[in-house]
Amino acid sequence: MSLTRRAFGAGICGCVLAALARRGFAQARPVEPGRTYIAPGYRPPADSDEKGLWSLLDRVERERKTSRFLVRDVELNAYVREIVCRLAKDHCPDIRGYILRTAQFNASMAPNGMMEVWTGLLLRCNDEAQLAAILGHELGHYLRQHTLERWRDARNKSDFGAFLGLGLAVAGLGAVGQLADLALVASMFAFSRDQEREADEIGLDLITQAGYTPVAAAEVWEQFIAEYQAGTAERSRQLLFATHPEPEERLVALREAAAKRDGARGERGRSRYLAKLAGVRARLIADELALRQYGRTEIVFDRLLAQSPDDGQLWHAKGEVYRLRAGDGDAARALKAYETALGTGNAPPETWRSIMLVELGAGARDRAQAAFDAYLKQKPGAPDADALRMLLSQ
Amino acid sequence: MMPMRSILAAALLLLAAGCAQFTLVTPERQTVGGVISVAPGTKWNKITTPGVEGKVEVWTLDGPALNTLVFFTGVTDGEPLFTRRAAAASGEEKPPVFRSKMNPVEIQELLEATAARYFRTTIAEGRNLKAEPIAGGRGFRFETRLLGRDEVERAGVFVGTIRNGKLYGAWFQGAKLHYFERYLPEFDRLVSSAELVGEAAR
Ligand SMILES: [Zn+2]
Repeated sequence: MSLTRRAFGAGICGCVLAALARRGFAQARPVEPGRTYIAPGYRPPADSDEKGLWSLLDRVERERKTSRFLVRDVELNAYVREIVCRLAKDHCPDIRGYILRTAQFNASMAPNGMMEVWTGLLLRCNDEAQLAAILGHELGHYLRQHTLERWRDARNKSDFGAFLGLGLAVAGLGAVGQLADLALVASMFAFSRDQEREADEIGLDLITQAGYTPVAAAEVWEQFIAEYQAGTAERSRQLLFATHPEPEERLVALREAAAKRDGARGERGRSRYLAKLAGVRARLIADELALRQYGRTEIVFDRLLAQSPDDGQLWHAKGEVYRLRAGDGDAARALKAYETALGTGNAPPETWRSIMLVELGAGARDRAQAAFDAYLKQKPGAPDADALRMLLSQ
Repeated sequence: MMPMRSILAAALLLLAAGCAQFTLVTPERQTVGGVISVAPGTKWNKITTPGVEGKVEVWTLDGPALNTLVFFTGVTDGEPLFTRRAAAASGEEKPPVFRSKMNPVEIQELLEATAARYFRTTIAEGRNLKAEPIAGGRGFRFETRLLGRDEVERAGVFVGTIRNGKLYGAWFQGAKLHYFERYLPEFDRLVSSAELVGEAAR
């Protein structure tokens, strides 16, 4: 259990990957037809165990509000809120969304109504329908009070201590960087296989009712599996794919369920999605590159490029994957991507800086100098001009 | 009431103190990793069980959560600068690695990525890269800034040099403002005293 949890703690995923954390917890229990949801405006009774859980999460939420990782872009926050409300309807006032600048693919939902959306998820969604599919799934956990159910269930078992002692659980993860992922830890512990399945079904219902394309849920999961398989994190991959057939099962279930709901019909909201993301997208791309997970990132960028082949920023970013990986043939791959970026007419000035670095690495000093000149021409006050001059002079 | 972050930070400090072991470094000439000779001007603590793996030696003044001085003692082609201990076993992606033919800009990018991964953030940047003579030869220096997942902003400075395809250097970083700026003169003194010895001098 703790090993599994640790693999997660490496910052991969709360809900989407909760398949990993669920091992050992899973219990067969049929999903009930005719579900009842938590009442709109619900508050736990005073002096209840649930109230205690909420108080803890309220405290986590207060810290979220001051987090320096919080994305405060007003328009983007309003947009995510709009999608949440479109899905959650009467429950909308009970949900508070927080966009966190974290490059991994994840969203999570706490029982007190605190929803977290990581920027890695925003980068990876092709359109509004895909984001809505993930948010709908998270809302499913909330509407059915899954965390509370899981918590009460865990209390009757020996692993209760590990769950209740949230602070200890987090300390047990043993790394500086994971302290802020408290809610994530809470949600990871919370969901069983049946709960995930139920959240998938509710999510599908919510997006269908809201008029989104039902098959978006299967797509986003499929994209994630493809990306994950391209990763180098052997340990996580083993856990997810070798010992656990569920991701594929889940994909099949989502596809079948979408087909029953007239899967491909409905709204995509692609251009709106890209427009709302425009203000933060450069940062999300830079954050993705900072992870140095070349194989996974290449898949993400290629997928986005297939949909936006004229995006110079993305072509530059794709070149950066190769330049930074610096393996056999990568210099040529990088240059090709930069060239394509320049051909779009909307490449960032840094494309020239990147070309300079690749040419310099290949010993082509004249071309490096020319690229440097082009960089300075496009970005006259470039803060790294002196540093680059130093390279050229050495 | 103590905010959660403080409680956890305190717990973490306890943990860090519980795990890490220190030996005193006295203010006299020391050899680090058998290859870098330096003359500290004050007492440091060498962390004998650092939370990182790699060709590094780690010192601290106020504890690893507040400031660290990481010596790079001859990182070779294909090796990461350092990784969190047992990173691979915990399911992390393969770390970015040092290449002998990297230029200073690329070393700066590599340290950014390495530090970002260690502090579980993507908010890490180097700046003000300049040439600087190190240990009687050509070297370079740049500043670092990062925001760790613990919400602590850290400032730092890196100096380094590549000799015979290996990276030698030192990165001092600490929580702003107190735990970095205050000791910057000591770091600079230490760097100016640096000599490459042993295998690195050949
Ligand atoms: Zn879930």
